[in-house]
Amino acid sequence: MQGARAVVDRALEALLAALFAALTLDVGWQVATRFLLGRPSPWSEELARFLLIWLGLLGASYALGRRMHLAIELFARRVQWRRWSRRFTLASTLAFALAVLGAGGTHLVALQLELGQRSAALAIPMGWVYLALPIAGGLMAFYTLAELAEGSRPEERG
Amino acid sequence: MPVGSEGAVLAVALVALLALGAPISVAIGVAAAVSLCAAIPAAPALATVAQQIATGLDSFALLAIPLFILSGHLMNRGGAARRLIDLGKELVGALPGGLVWVEVLGCVLFGAISGSAVATAAAVGGVMAPRMEQDGYGRDFGAALSVAAATTGLLIPPSNVLIVYSLASGGVSVAALFFAGYVPGLLIALLVGVTAVGLAARRGRLPRARGFAMGRLGKSAAAALPSLLLVVVVMGGIVAGIFTATEAAGIAVLYALVLALAVHRELRPRELPRVLVEAAATTGVVLLLIGASMALAWTMAYAGIPQAVARLLLDAAAGPVALLLALNLLLLAIGTFLDMTPAVLLFTPMFLPAAVELGIDPVHLGIVMTLNLCIGISTPPVGTLLFVACGVSGTTLGRVVPYLAPLYAALLLALAVVTAVPELSLALPRALGLLGD
Repeated sequence: MQGARAVVDRALEALLAALFAALTLDVGWQVATRFLLGRPSPWSEELARFLLIWLGLLGASYALGRRMHLAIELFARRVQWRRWSRRFTLASTLAFALAVLGAGGTHLVALQLELGQRSAALAIPMGWVYLALPIAGGLMAFYTLAELAEGSRPEERG
Repeated sequence: MPVGSEGAVLAVALVALLALGAPISVAIGVAAAVSLCAAIPAAPALATVAQQIATGLDSFALLAIPLFILSGHLMNRGGAARRLIDLGKELVGALPGGLVWVEVLGCVLFGAISGSAVATAAAVGGVMAPRMEQDGYGRDFGAALSVAAATTGLLIPPSNVLIVYSLASGGVSVAALFFAGYVPGLLIALLVGVTAVGLAARRGRLPRARGFAMGRLGKSAAAALPSLLLVVVVMGGIVAGIFTATEAAGIAVLYALVLALAVHRELRPRELPRVLVEAAATTGVVLLLIGASMALAWTMAYAGIPQAVARLLLDAAAGPVALLLALNLLLLAIGTFLDMTPAVLLFTPMFLPAAVELGIDPVHLGIVMTLNLCIGISTPPVGTLLFVACGVSGTTLGRVVPYLAPLYAALLLALAVVTAVPELSLALPRALGLLGD
Protein backbone atom coordinates (compact mmCIF):
# COMPACT_ATOMS: atom_id res chain seq x y z
CA MET A 1 0.00 0.00 0.00
CA GLN A 2 2.85 2.39 0.92
CA GLY A 3 4.53 1.82 -2.43
CA ALA A 4 1.31 2.25 -4.41
CA ARG A 5 0.57 5.42 -2.49
CA ALA A 6 3.99 6.89 -3.31
CA VAL A 7 3.47 6.16 -7.02
CA VAL A 8 0.03 7.79 -7.02
CA ASP A 9 1.41 10.78 -5.08
CA ARG A 10 4.25 11.37 -7.56
CA ALA A 11 2.00 11.01 -10.60
CA LEU A 12 -0.61 13.34 -9.12
CA GLU A 13 2.03 15.91 -8.17
CA ALA A 14 3.39 15.98 -11.72
CA LEU A 15 -0.13 16.34 -13.12
CA LEU A 16 -1.07 19.12 -10.68
CA ALA A 17 2.10 21.12 -11.40
CA ALA A 18 1.43 20.79 -15.14
CA LEU A 19 -2.25 21.77 -14.79
CA PHE A 20 -1.44 24.82 -12.67
CA ALA A 21 1.34 25.92 -15.05
CA ALA A 22 -1.00 25.47 -18.01
CA LEU A 23 -3.73 27.46 -16.24
CA THR A 24 -1.36 30.35 -15.50
CA LEU A 25 0.00 30.43 -19.05
CA ASP A 26 -3.53 30.24 -20.44
CA VAL A 27 -4.74 33.24 -18.39
CA GLY A 28 -1.53 35.07 -19.38
CA TRP A 29 -2.33 34.31 -23.03
CA GLN A 30 -5.90 35.54 -22.48
CA VAL A 31 -4.64 38.88 -21.09
CA ALA A 32 -2.02 39.21 -23.83
CA THR A 33 -4.48 38.60 -26.67
CA ARG A 34 -6.92 41.10 -25.22
CA PHE A 35 -4.24 43.80 -25.05
CA LEU A 36 -2.38 43.03 -28.27
CA LEU A 37 -5.25 41.94 -30.53
CA GLY A 38 -8.00 43.97 -28.89
CA ARG A 39 -10.17 40.95 -28.13
CA PRO A 40 -9.53 37.92 -25.95
CA SER A 41 -9.43 34.58 -27.68
CA PRO A 42 -12.64 32.70 -26.85
CA TRP A 43 -10.93 29.32 -26.52
CA SER A 44 -8.47 30.41 -23.84
CA GLU A 45 -11.32 31.59 -21.59
CA GLU A 46 -13.12 28.26 -21.95
CA LEU A 47 -9.93 26.23 -21.53
CA ALA A 48 -9.14 28.13 -18.31
CA ARG A 49 -12.55 27.23 -16.85
CA PHE A 50 -12.13 23.55 -17.70
CA LEU A 51 -8.58 23.49 -16.31
CA LEU A 52 -10.01 24.98 -13.11
CA ILE A 53 -12.46 22.08 -12.72
CA TRP A 54 -9.64 19.56 -13.15
CA LEU A 55 -7.21 21.46 -10.92
CA GLY A 56 -9.85 21.87 -8.21
CA LEU A 57 -10.98 18.24 -8.13
CA LEU A 58 -7.53 16.64 -8.51
CA GLY A 59 -6.04 19.15 -6.06
CA ALA A 60 -8.78 18.22 -3.60
CA SER A 61 -7.92 14.51 -4.00
CA TYR A 62 -4.23 15.22 -3.36
CA ALA A 63 -5.15 17.38 -0.35
CA LEU A 64 -7.25 14.50 1.02
CA GLY A 65 -4.19 12.23 0.89
CA ARG A 66 -2.33 14.86 2.90
CA ARG A 67 -5.24 15.29 5.38
CA MET A 68 -5.49 18.97 4.55
CA HIS A 69 -9.29 19.22 4.43
CA LEU A 70 -10.89 21.09 7.29
CA ALA A 71 -13.03 19.24 9.78
CA ILE A 72 -14.63 19.94 13.13
CA GLU A 73 -12.69 17.82 15.57
CA LEU A 74 -15.22 18.00 18.37
CA PHE A 75 -15.24 14.30 19.22
CA ALA A 76 -11.82 13.45 17.84
CA ARG A 77 -10.19 15.19 20.80
CA ARG A 78 -11.55 12.68 23.29
CA VAL A 79 -9.52 9.52 23.21
CA GLN A 80 -12.43 7.12 23.79
CA TRP A 81 -14.41 8.63 20.87
CA ARG A 82 -11.50 9.05 18.53
CA ARG A 83 -11.69 5.60 17.00
CA TRP A 84 -15.39 5.90 16.22
CA SER A 85 -15.04 9.42 14.89
CA ARG A 86 -12.22 8.25 12.63
CA ARG A 87 -14.21 5.31 11.30
CA PHE A 88 -17.20 7.53 10.64
CA THR A 89 -15.02 10.13 8.92
CA LEU A 90 -13.45 7.54 6.64
CA ALA A 91 -16.84 5.97 5.88
CA SER A 92 -18.46 9.28 4.97
CA THR A 93 -15.47 10.26 2.82
CA LEU A 94 -15.67 6.90 1.08
CA ALA A 95 -19.41 7.44 0.49
CA PHE A 96 -18.75 10.87 -1.00
CA ALA A 97 -15.92 9.54 -3.20
CA LEU A 98 -17.71 6.42 -4.46
CA ALA A 99 -21.38 7.44 -4.56
CA VAL A 100 -21.37 11.16 -5.37
CA LEU A 101 -18.17 11.65 -7.39
CA GLY A 102 -17.75 8.04 -8.56
CA ALA A 103 -21.26 6.78 -9.39
CA GLY A 104 -22.84 10.22 -9.92
CA GLY A 105 -19.87 11.40 -11.97
CA THR A 106 -19.77 8.24 -14.11
CA HIS A 107 -23.50 8.49 -14.77
CA LEU A 108 -23.06 12.14 -15.76
CA VAL A 109 -20.12 11.42 -18.08
CA ALA A 110 -22.02 8.58 -19.79
CA LEU A 111 -25.10 10.76 -20.21
CA GLN A 112 -23.14 13.69 -21.66
CA LEU A 113 -21.24 11.44 -24.09
CA GLU A 114 -24.49 9.78 -25.16
CA LEU A 115 -26.11 13.18 -25.79
CA GLY A 116 -22.99 14.30 -27.67
CA GLN A 117 -22.78 17.61 -25.76
CA ARG A 118 -19.77 19.67 -26.85
CA SER A 119 -18.30 22.87 -25.44
CA ALA A 120 -19.04 26.14 -27.25
CA ALA A 121 -15.57 27.35 -28.25
CA LEU A 122 -13.29 24.31 -28.28
CA ALA A 123 -15.95 21.74 -29.22
CA ILE A 124 -14.58 19.38 -26.56
CA PRO A 125 -17.14 16.69 -25.60
CA MET A 126 -18.47 17.80 -22.20
CA GLY A 127 -18.17 14.18 -21.02
CA TRP A 128 -14.38 14.59 -21.07
CA VAL A 129 -14.59 17.74 -18.97
CA TYR A 130 -16.75 15.99 -16.37
CA LEU A 131 -14.40 12.97 -16.39
CA ALA A 132 -12.51 14.84 -13.63
CA LEU A 133 -15.36 13.89 -11.26
CA PRO A 134 -15.10 10.06 -11.36
CA ILE A 135 -11.28 10.27 -11.51
CA ALA A 136 -11.23 12.44 -8.38
CA GLY A 137 -13.71 10.00 -6.80
CA GLY A 138 -11.38 7.09 -7.54
CA LEU A 139 -8.36 8.92 -6.14
CA MET A 140 -10.22 9.95 -2.98
CA ALA A 141 -11.41 6.38 -2.46
CA PHE A 142 -7.83 5.17 -2.94
CA TYR A 143 -6.43 7.60 -0.36
CA THR A 144 -9.21 6.75 2.10
CA LEU A 145 -8.54 3.03 1.77
CA ALA A 146 -4.80 3.63 2.09
CA GLU A 147 -5.50 5.50 5.31
CA LEU A 148 -7.64 2.61 6.59
CA ALA A 149 -4.91 0.09 5.78
CA GLU A 150 -2.23 2.18 7.47
CA GLY A 151 -4.41 2.87 10.52
CA SER A 152 -5.00 -0.83 11.14
CA ARG A 153 -1.38 -1.37 12.13
CA PRO A 154 -1.20 -1.16 15.93
CA GLU A 155 1.76 1.25 16.13
CA GLU A 156 0.06 3.80 13.89
CA ARG A 157 -2.23 6.66 14.79
CA GLY A 158 -1.73 8.98 17.73
CA MET B 1 -42.12 17.42 -1.14
CA PRO B 2 -42.83 20.35 1.20
CA VAL B 3 -40.02 22.76 2.04
CA GLY B 4 -40.04 21.82 5.70
CA SER B 5 -39.33 18.09 5.41
CA GLU B 6 -36.60 18.35 2.78
CA GLY B 7 -35.00 21.16 4.73
CA ALA B 8 -35.15 18.99 7.84
CA VAL B 9 -33.43 16.03 6.10
CA LEU B 10 -30.74 18.40 4.87
CA ALA B 11 -30.14 20.11 8.20
CA VAL B 12 -30.02 16.86 10.19
CA ALA B 13 -27.64 15.21 7.71
CA LEU B 14 -25.33 18.23 7.61
CA VAL B 15 -25.16 18.75 11.36
CA ALA B 16 -24.65 15.03 12.06
CA LEU B 17 -21.86 14.71 9.48
CA LEU B 18 -20.10 17.87 10.67
CA ALA B 19 -20.38 17.03 14.37
CA LEU B 20 -18.99 13.52 13.89
CA GLY B 21 -15.88 14.94 12.25
CA ALA B 22 -16.30 14.40 8.50
CA PRO B 23 -14.28 16.89 6.42
CA ILE B 24 -16.51 19.95 5.91
CA SER B 25 -16.59 19.70 2.11
CA VAL B 26 -17.44 15.98 2.30
CA ALA B 27 -20.19 16.66 4.85
CA ILE B 28 -21.69 19.34 2.61
CA GLY B 29 -21.51 17.16 -0.52
CA VAL B 30 -23.07 14.13 1.21
CA ALA B 31 -25.81 16.29 2.78
CA ALA B 32 -26.68 17.64 -0.68
CA ALA B 33 -26.80 14.10 -2.10
CA VAL B 34 -28.89 12.70 0.78
CA SER B 35 -31.48 15.47 0.63
CA LEU B 36 -31.81 15.28 -3.16
CA CYS B 37 -32.08 11.47 -3.00
CA ALA B 38 -35.02 12.00 -0.61
CA ALA B 39 -36.80 13.97 -3.33
CA ILE B 40 -35.93 12.21 -6.62
CA PRO B 41 -34.54 8.75 -7.63
CA ALA B 42 -30.94 8.08 -6.59
CA ALA B 43 -29.23 7.75 -9.98
CA PRO B 44 -30.25 11.17 -11.40
CA ALA B 45 -29.89 12.73 -7.93
CA LEU B 46 -26.24 11.67 -7.58
CA ALA B 47 -25.45 12.69 -11.15
CA THR B 48 -27.07 16.09 -10.53
CA VAL B 49 -25.05 16.71 -7.36
CA ALA B 50 -21.84 15.69 -9.19
CA GLN B 51 -22.72 18.01 -12.05
CA GLN B 52 -23.44 20.90 -9.68
CA ILE B 53 -20.03 20.42 -8.05
CA ALA B 54 -18.34 20.66 -11.47
CA THR B 55 -20.45 23.52 -12.85
CA GLY B 56 -20.00 25.33 -9.53
CA LEU B 57 -16.31 25.54 -10.43
CA ASP B 58 -16.94 26.35 -14.09
CA SER B 59 -16.51 30.11 -13.71
CA PHE B 60 -13.99 32.57 -15.05
CA ALA B 61 -14.41 34.80 -11.97
CA LEU B 62 -13.46 31.90 -9.65
CA LEU B 63 -10.15 31.52 -11.50
CA ALA B 64 -8.90 34.51 -9.54
CA ILE B 65 -8.81 32.37 -6.39
CA PRO B 66 -6.18 29.76 -7.42
CA LEU B 67 -4.14 32.48 -9.07
CA PHE B 68 -4.15 34.67 -5.94
CA ILE B 69 -3.28 31.54 -3.90
CA LEU B 70 -0.34 30.82 -6.21
CA SER B 71 0.91 34.42 -6.17
CA GLY B 72 0.64 34.36 -2.36
CA HIS B 73 2.73 31.17 -2.18
CA LEU B 74 5.30 32.68 -4.54
CA MET B 75 5.47 35.97 -2.60
CA ASN B 76 5.89 34.03 0.60
CA ARG B 77 8.70 31.87 -0.78
CA GLY B 78 10.30 35.07 -2.05
CA GLY B 79 10.49 36.38 1.52
CA ALA B 80 7.75 39.02 1.21
CA ALA B 81 6.41 38.56 4.76
CA ARG B 82 9.82 39.19 6.31
CA ARG B 83 10.40 42.33 4.21
CA LEU B 84 6.94 43.74 5.01
CA ILE B 85 7.42 43.07 8.73
CA ASP B 86 10.85 44.75 8.63
CA LEU B 87 9.25 47.80 7.04
CA GLY B 88 6.54 47.74 9.70
CA LYS B 89 9.19 47.61 12.42
CA GLU B 90 10.90 50.76 11.14
CA LEU B 91 7.59 52.56 10.63
CA VAL B 92 5.77 51.87 13.89
CA GLY B 93 8.31 50.03 16.08
CA ALA B 94 9.07 53.20 18.03
CA LEU B 95 5.48 53.51 19.28
CA PRO B 96 4.66 52.26 22.80
CA GLY B 97 3.89 48.57 22.40
CA GLY B 98 5.88 48.71 19.19
CA LEU B 99 5.74 45.03 18.33
CA VAL B 100 1.93 44.98 18.58
CA TRP B 101 1.72 47.67 15.90
CA VAL B 102 4.38 45.88 13.84
CA GLU B 103 2.26 42.72 13.84
CA VAL B 104 -0.93 44.63 12.98
CA LEU B 105 0.73 46.61 10.19
CA GLY B 106 2.44 43.45 8.93
CA CYS B 107 -0.98 41.76 8.64
CA VAL B 108 -2.45 44.79 6.84
CA LEU B 109 0.42 44.88 4.33
CA PHE B 110 0.49 41.12 3.82
CA GLY B 111 -3.32 41.12 3.53
CA ALA B 112 -2.92 43.59 0.70
CA ILE B 113 -0.81 41.15 -1.29
CA SER B 114 -2.67 37.95 -0.38
CA GLY B 115 -6.33 37.05 -0.61
CA SER B 116 -6.61 35.01 2.54
CA ALA B 117 -6.62 35.60 6.30
CA VAL B 118 -5.25 32.11 6.91
CA ALA B 119 -2.23 32.79 4.67
CA THR B 120 -1.73 36.12 6.44
CA ALA B 121 -1.82 34.53 9.90
CA ALA B 122 0.54 31.76 8.79
CA ALA B 123 3.06 34.10 7.15
CA VAL B 124 3.04 37.04 9.58
CA GLY B 125 2.22 35.09 12.74
CA GLY B 126 4.99 32.61 11.96
CA VAL B 127 7.65 35.30 11.61
CA MET B 128 6.38 37.33 14.58
CA ALA B 129 5.87 34.55 17.17
CA PRO B 130 9.53 34.27 18.28
CA ARG B 131 9.93 38.07 18.29
CA MET B 132 6.84 38.52 20.45
CA GLU B 133 8.29 36.03 22.90
CA GLN B 134 11.69 37.82 22.90
CA ASP B 135 10.06 41.14 23.74
CA GLY B 136 8.17 39.59 26.67
CA TYR B 137 4.64 39.56 25.25
CA GLY B 138 4.55 35.75 25.17
CA ARG B 139 3.61 33.36 22.40
CA ASP B 140 -0.03 33.03 23.42
CA PHE B 141 -0.64 36.75 23.31
CA GLY B 142 1.16 36.90 19.95
CA ALA B 143 -0.98 34.10 18.52
CA ALA B 144 -4.19 35.78 19.73
CA LEU B 145 -3.11 39.07 18.18
CA SER B 146 -2.24 37.43 14.87
CA VAL B 147 -5.72 35.85 14.72
CA ALA B 148 -7.52 39.16 15.24
CA ALA B 149 -5.20 41.19 13.01
CA ALA B 150 -5.17 38.62 10.18
CA THR B 151 -8.92 39.11 9.66
CA THR B 152 -7.95 42.34 7.89
CA GLY B 153 -6.53 40.09 5.14
CA LEU B 154 -10.06 39.14 4.08
CA LEU B 155 -11.34 42.71 3.89
CA ILE B 156 -8.29 44.42 2.46
CA PRO B 157 -8.18 43.39 -1.20
CA PRO B 158 -7.51 41.12 -2.92
CA SER B 159 -9.86 38.86 -0.97
CA ASN B 160 -10.94 35.35 -1.91
CA VAL B 161 -14.11 35.59 0.16
CA LEU B 162 -15.27 38.74 -1.61
CA ILE B 163 -14.79 36.88 -4.93
CA VAL B 164 -16.94 34.05 -3.56
CA TYR B 165 -19.59 36.58 -2.43
CA SER B 166 -19.61 38.13 -5.88
CA LEU B 167 -20.28 34.67 -7.30
CA ALA B 168 -22.98 33.83 -4.74
CA SER B 169 -24.76 37.15 -5.22
CA GLY B 170 -25.03 36.59 -8.94
CA GLY B 171 -22.58 39.23 -10.07
CA VAL B 172 -22.05 42.09 -7.59
CA SER B 173 -18.91 43.83 -8.93
CA VAL B 174 -15.70 42.35 -7.54
CA ALA B 175 -13.95 45.69 -8.10
CA ALA B 176 -16.57 47.52 -6.00
CA LEU B 177 -16.34 44.88 -3.24
CA PHE B 178 -12.54 45.06 -3.23
CA PHE B 179 -12.46 48.82 -2.75
CA ALA B 180 -15.30 48.67 -0.23
CA GLY B 181 -13.08 46.49 1.99
CA TYR B 182 -10.25 48.99 2.58
CA VAL B 183 -11.84 51.26 5.23
CA PRO B 184 -13.48 48.44 7.26
CA GLY B 185 -10.18 46.52 7.10
CA LEU B 186 -8.20 49.49 8.42
CA LEU B 187 -10.85 50.09 11.09
CA ILE B 188 -10.35 46.52 12.36
CA ALA B 189 -6.58 47.04 12.36
CA LEU B 190 -6.94 50.19 14.45
CA LEU B 191 -9.43 48.76 16.96
CA VAL B 192 -7.50 45.50 17.35
CA GLY B 193 -4.19 47.38 17.74
CA VAL B 194 -5.54 49.73 20.40
CA THR B 195 -7.16 46.86 22.31
CA ALA B 196 -3.99 44.76 22.19
CA VAL B 197 -1.81 47.63 23.38
CA GLY B 198 -4.28 48.25 26.21
CA LEU B 199 -4.07 44.58 27.16
CA ALA B 200 -0.29 44.60 27.12
CA ALA B 201 -0.19 47.83 29.17
CA ARG B 202 -2.38 46.29 31.85
CA ARG B 203 0.15 43.50 32.17
CA GLY B 204 2.86 46.16 32.42
CA ARG B 205 4.64 45.26 29.20
CA LEU B 206 4.97 47.98 26.61
CA PRO B 207 8.50 47.84 25.26
CA ARG B 208 9.33 49.85 22.17
CA ALA B 209 10.65 47.53 19.49
CA ARG B 210 13.39 49.94 18.40
CA GLY B 211 14.13 53.62 17.98
CA PHE B 212 13.08 55.52 14.88
CA ALA B 213 15.80 56.10 12.31
CA MET B 214 15.22 57.62 8.91
CA GLY B 215 18.11 55.76 7.33
CA ARG B 216 16.91 52.31 8.36
CA LEU B 217 13.35 53.21 7.35
CA GLY B 218 14.53 54.15 3.88
CA LYS B 219 16.49 50.92 3.55
CA SER B 220 13.64 48.66 4.64
CA ALA B 221 11.17 50.60 2.50
CA ALA B 222 13.40 50.03 -0.51
CA ALA B 223 13.53 46.29 0.29
CA ALA B 224 9.73 46.06 0.66
CA LEU B 225 8.93 48.28 -2.32
CA PRO B 226 8.89 45.55 -5.01
CA SER B 227 6.43 43.52 -2.90
CA LEU B 228 4.20 46.55 -2.31
CA LEU B 229 4.27 47.49 -5.98
CA LEU B 230 2.26 44.31 -6.59
CA VAL B 231 -0.67 46.01 -4.79
CA VAL B 232 -0.36 49.04 -7.05
CA VAL B 233 -0.29 46.91 -10.20
CA VAL B 234 -3.21 44.68 -9.18
CA MET B 235 -5.55 47.22 -7.58
CA GLY B 236 -4.53 50.04 -9.90
CA GLY B 237 -5.25 47.85 -12.91
CA ILE B 238 -8.65 46.84 -11.52
CA VAL B 239 -9.77 50.36 -10.60
CA ALA B 240 -8.57 51.83 -13.88
CA GLY B 241 -10.70 49.23 -15.63
CA ILE B 242 -7.63 47.84 -17.39
CA PHE B 243 -8.24 44.29 -16.25
CA THR B 244 -10.71 42.10 -14.42
CA ALA B 245 -9.96 40.53 -11.02
CA THR B 246 -9.05 37.24 -12.73
CA GLU B 247 -6.69 38.91 -15.18
CA ALA B 248 -5.18 40.92 -12.31
CA ALA B 249 -4.60 37.65 -10.43
CA GLY B 250 -2.82 36.24 -13.51
CA ILE B 251 -0.61 39.34 -13.65
CA ALA B 252 0.04 38.97 -9.90
CA VAL B 253 1.36 35.42 -10.48
CA LEU B 254 3.73 36.55 -13.24
CA TYR B 255 4.89 39.52 -11.13
CA ALA B 256 5.47 37.35 -8.04
CA LEU B 257 7.31 34.81 -10.19
CA VAL B 258 9.71 37.40 -11.59
CA LEU B 259 10.18 38.84 -8.08
CA ALA B 260 10.98 35.48 -6.47
CA LEU B 261 13.16 34.13 -9.30
CA ALA B 262 14.96 37.16 -10.67
CA VAL B 263 14.77 40.12 -8.25
CA HIS B 264 15.02 38.58 -4.77
CA ARG B 265 16.47 35.28 -6.03
CA GLU B 266 15.11 33.37 -3.05
CA LEU B 267 13.41 30.74 -5.20
CA ARG B 268 15.30 28.46 -7.58
CA PRO B 269 13.62 27.39 -10.81
CA ARG B 270 13.81 23.71 -9.88
CA GLU B 271 11.82 24.42 -6.70
CA LEU B 272 8.98 25.78 -8.82
CA PRO B 273 7.07 22.46 -9.30
CA ARG B 274 7.01 22.04 -5.51
CA VAL B 275 5.44 25.50 -5.08
CA LEU B 276 2.89 24.68 -7.79
CA VAL B 277 1.91 21.44 -6.02
CA GLU B 278 1.60 23.19 -2.63
CA ALA B 279 -0.59 25.88 -4.18
CA ALA B 280 -2.63 23.21 -6.01
CA ALA B 281 -3.32 21.39 -2.73
CA THR B 282 -4.46 24.62 -1.03
CA THR B 283 -6.55 25.37 -4.12
CA GLY B 284 -8.09 21.90 -3.96
CA VAL B 285 -9.24 22.41 -0.37
CA VAL B 286 -10.84 25.76 -1.22
CA LEU B 287 -12.38 24.67 -4.53
CA LEU B 288 -13.91 21.43 -3.22
CA LEU B 289 -15.49 23.49 -0.46
CA ILE B 290 -16.85 25.87 -3.11
CA GLY B 291 -18.03 23.09 -5.46
CA ALA B 292 -19.77 21.15 -2.69
CA SER B 293 -21.35 24.33 -1.29
CA MET B 294 -22.61 25.27 -4.76
CA ALA B 295 -24.19 21.81 -5.04
CA LEU B 296 -25.84 22.20 -1.64
CA ALA B 297 -27.01 25.74 -2.51
CA TRP B 298 -28.55 24.31 -5.70
CA THR B 299 -30.30 21.55 -3.73
CA MET B 300 -31.62 24.10 -1.28
CA ALA B 301 -32.88 26.33 -4.08
CA TYR B 302 -34.53 23.24 -5.64
CA ALA B 303 -36.37 22.69 -2.37
CA GLY B 304 -37.37 26.36 -2.24
CA ILE B 305 -35.54 27.00 1.02
CA PRO B 306 -33.87 30.38 0.21
CA GLN B 307 -37.18 31.86 -0.96
CA ALA B 308 -38.94 30.65 2.19
CA VAL B 309 -36.22 32.05 4.46
CA ALA B 310 -36.18 35.37 2.59
CA ARG B 311 -39.95 35.67 3.02
CA LEU B 312 -39.61 34.83 6.72
CA LEU B 313 -36.91 37.48 7.13
CA LEU B 314 -38.98 40.13 5.36
CA ASP B 315 -42.03 39.35 7.49
CA ALA B 316 -40.04 39.48 10.72
CA ALA B 317 -37.84 42.52 10.06
CA ALA B 318 -39.41 45.95 10.42
CA GLY B 319 -36.71 47.77 8.44
CA PRO B 320 -33.14 47.61 7.16
CA VAL B 321 -31.63 48.15 10.62
CA ALA B 322 -33.66 45.34 12.17
CA LEU B 323 -32.83 43.08 9.23
CA LEU B 324 -29.08 43.75 9.46
CA LEU B 325 -29.19 43.14 13.20
CA ALA B 326 -31.03 39.85 12.70
CA LEU B 327 -28.62 38.77 9.92
CA ASN B 328 -25.62 39.58 12.09
CA LEU B 329 -26.90 37.61 15.07
CA LEU B 330 -27.77 34.67 12.81
CA LEU B 331 -24.38 34.74 11.08
CA LEU B 332 -22.44 35.04 14.33
CA ALA B 333 -24.12 31.83 15.46
CA ILE B 334 -23.63 30.09 12.11
CA GLY B 335 -20.04 31.28 11.82
CA THR B 336 -18.95 29.48 14.96
CA PHE B 337 -19.50 26.07 13.37
CA LEU B 338 -19.57 26.63 9.60
CA ASP B 339 -16.51 27.72 7.64
CA MET B 340 -16.59 31.04 5.83
CA THR B 341 -16.84 29.91 2.20
CA PRO B 342 -19.85 27.60 2.61
CA ALA B 343 -21.51 30.16 4.88
CA VAL B 344 -21.24 32.84 2.17
CA LEU B 345 -22.39 30.50 -0.61
CA LEU B 346 -25.34 29.08 1.36
CA PHE B 347 -26.65 32.22 3.04
CA THR B 348 -26.14 34.94 0.45
CA PRO B 349 -29.06 33.63 -1.67
CA MET B 350 -31.28 33.81 1.45
CA PHE B 351 -30.18 37.20 2.74
CA LEU B 352 -29.57 39.20 -0.43
CA PRO B 353 -33.16 39.35 -1.81
CA ALA B 354 -34.54 40.50 1.55
CA ALA B 355 -31.71 43.03 1.96
CA VAL B 356 -32.18 44.49 -1.52
CA GLU B 357 -35.92 44.71 -0.93
CA LEU B 358 -35.28 46.85 2.16
CA GLY B 359 -32.82 49.11 0.35
CA ILE B 360 -29.52 47.69 1.65
CA ASP B 361 -26.69 47.94 -0.88
CA PRO B 362 -25.45 44.46 -1.96
CA VAL B 363 -21.84 45.70 -1.62
CA HIS B 364 -22.50 46.79 1.97
CA LEU B 365 -24.13 43.44 2.73
CA GLY B 366 -21.08 41.63 1.34
CA ILE B 367 -18.70 43.56 3.60
CA VAL B 368 -20.93 43.05 6.66
CA MET B 369 -21.19 39.29 6.00
CA THR B 370 -17.44 38.98 5.46
CA LEU B 371 -16.54 40.93 8.59
CA ASN B 372 -19.09 38.95 10.59
CA LEU B 373 -17.76 35.60 9.39
CA CYS B 374 -14.20 36.77 10.15
CA ILE B 375 -15.26 36.53 13.79
CA GLY B 376 -16.60 33.03 13.09
CA ILE B 377 -13.26 31.75 11.76
CA SER B 378 -11.54 33.17 14.86
CA THR B 379 -13.75 31.28 17.34
CA PRO B 380 -13.86 27.60 18.33
CA PRO B 381 -15.13 24.96 17.59
CA VAL B 382 -14.58 25.70 13.89
CA GLY B 383 -12.03 28.48 13.67
CA THR B 384 -9.76 27.85 10.70
CA LEU B 385 -7.85 31.02 11.34
CA LEU B 386 -7.52 30.28 15.05
CA PHE B 387 -6.17 26.76 14.39
CA VAL B 388 -3.58 27.94 11.88
CA ALA B 389 -2.39 30.77 14.15
CA CYS B 390 -2.00 28.36 17.09
CA GLY B 391 -0.12 25.96 14.81
CA VAL B 392 2.44 28.44 13.47
CA SER B 393 2.96 30.04 16.88
CA GLY B 394 3.51 26.68 18.54
CA THR B 395 0.80 27.06 21.17
CA THR B 396 -2.63 25.59 21.93
CA LEU B 397 -6.22 26.72 21.69
CA GLY B 398 -6.85 26.72 25.43
CA ARG B 399 -3.92 29.03 26.12
CA VAL B 400 -4.79 31.53 23.36
CA VAL B 401 -8.53 31.96 23.91
CA PRO B 402 -8.24 33.97 27.19
CA TYR B 403 -6.20 36.61 25.35
CA LEU B 404 -8.67 36.56 22.49
CA ALA B 405 -11.76 37.52 24.52
CA PRO B 406 -11.06 41.30 24.55
CA LEU B 407 -9.99 41.13 20.90
CA TYR B 408 -13.35 39.54 20.00
CA ALA B 409 -14.92 42.61 21.62
CA ALA B 410 -12.84 44.83 19.32
CA LEU B 411 -13.97 42.82 16.27
CA LEU B 412 -17.61 43.00 17.39
CA LEU B 413 -17.30 46.76 17.81
CA ALA B 414 -15.87 47.00 14.27
CA LEU B 415 -18.79 44.88 13.03
CA ALA B 416 -21.34 47.13 14.76
CA VAL B 417 -19.77 50.29 13.32
CA VAL B 418 -19.44 48.89 9.78
CA THR B 419 -23.03 47.61 9.91
CA ALA B 420 -24.43 50.90 11.19
CA VAL B 421 -22.51 53.17 8.84
CA PRO B 422 -22.84 51.91 5.24
CA GLU B 423 -20.75 54.81 3.95
CA LEU B 424 -17.61 53.32 5.56
CA SER B 425 -17.90 50.58 2.95
CA LEU B 426 -19.53 52.48 0.11
CA ALA B 427 -17.79 55.88 0.01
CA LEU B 428 -14.56 54.65 -1.60
CA PRO B 429 -16.08 52.52 -4.39
CA ARG B 430 -18.62 55.29 -5.06
CA ALA B 431 -15.88 57.92 -5.33
CA LEU B 432 -14.12 55.66 -7.83
CA GLY B 433 -17.32 55.24 -9.83
CA LEU B 434 -17.51 51.49 -9.16
CA LEU B 435 -21.07 51.42 -7.75
CA GLY B 436 -23.33 51.14 -10.76
CA ASP B 437 -25.89 53.63 -9.45
